[in-house]
Amino acid sequence: MAGWKTLFPVDLAEESRLSRREFARFLALVSAGFTGGIGYLMARKRPLDGAPDPASARPLDLEVCRAEDVAPGNSLLFTYRDPQDRCVLIHTPGGDWRAYRQTCTHLGCAVRWDGKGLECPCHNGYFEVEQGFPIQGPPTRPLSRLRVEVEADGRVWVRGDLPKPATGSLA
Amino acid sequence: MNKAAFTAAALAVILLIVLIQAYLFDTVLGAVLDGQRSQLAGALAVSAALTAVALYLAFKAPGLDGRR
Repeated sequence: MAGWKTLFPVDLAEESRLSRREFARFLALVSAGFTGGIGYLMARKRPLDGAPDPASARPLDLEVCRAEDVAPGNSLLFTYRDPQDRCVLIHTPGGDWRAYRQTCTHLGCAVRWDGKGLECPCHNGYFEVEQGFPIQGPPTRPLSRLRVEVEADGRVWVRGDLPKPATGSLA
Repeated sequence: MNKAAFTAAALAVILLIVLIQAYLFDTVLGAVLDGQRSQLAGALAVSAALTAVALYLAFKAPGLDGRR
């Protein structure tokens, strides 16, 4: 019945043993995986870093629309530094203007304006509109905010990034 | 018959490297999601150096084999 044990005399206890060196090799490969991940992020996001390609780079000052194009309570999607840099311009119900990158600070899904705040449909994250702080769901860091200026002639400009607000200033 | 075994110190170094790599990757991912990408080149260089050390220790460092 157990003739196969005679034919294949494998010590199962020894077979399942993992030596320190084998474990170290596994950990070293995990480390290489992290390096590959960072390399992937760098390769994928390189077009967003500064202005490496003069043919496609845009100036930091970008005229997005005219004020009358976006009624209070509405939003407008636009791209800022390059076609992959997706942002949302918001005319709040109170009449203020805000602009945020659409990239959710949790896992990078695109957030969208729902009339009161910015929601991330992937994991039900939610950001308030005044400074972009997360108020619901898994995100822990505020959205990346852009500086918006409305000129006297009604043109709406985006002029660069605003520094991230301190996490504790929401309260 | 004595069998070669990986020293505990070398294993601890590699474990530490993996922990640093995890922290580094989490930090870099957060920075990328925040739209800050200037750290990527430096982080990649540090990560590659740490991986080189880990790979050397795990695959090419016979002097770390002790006796069990």
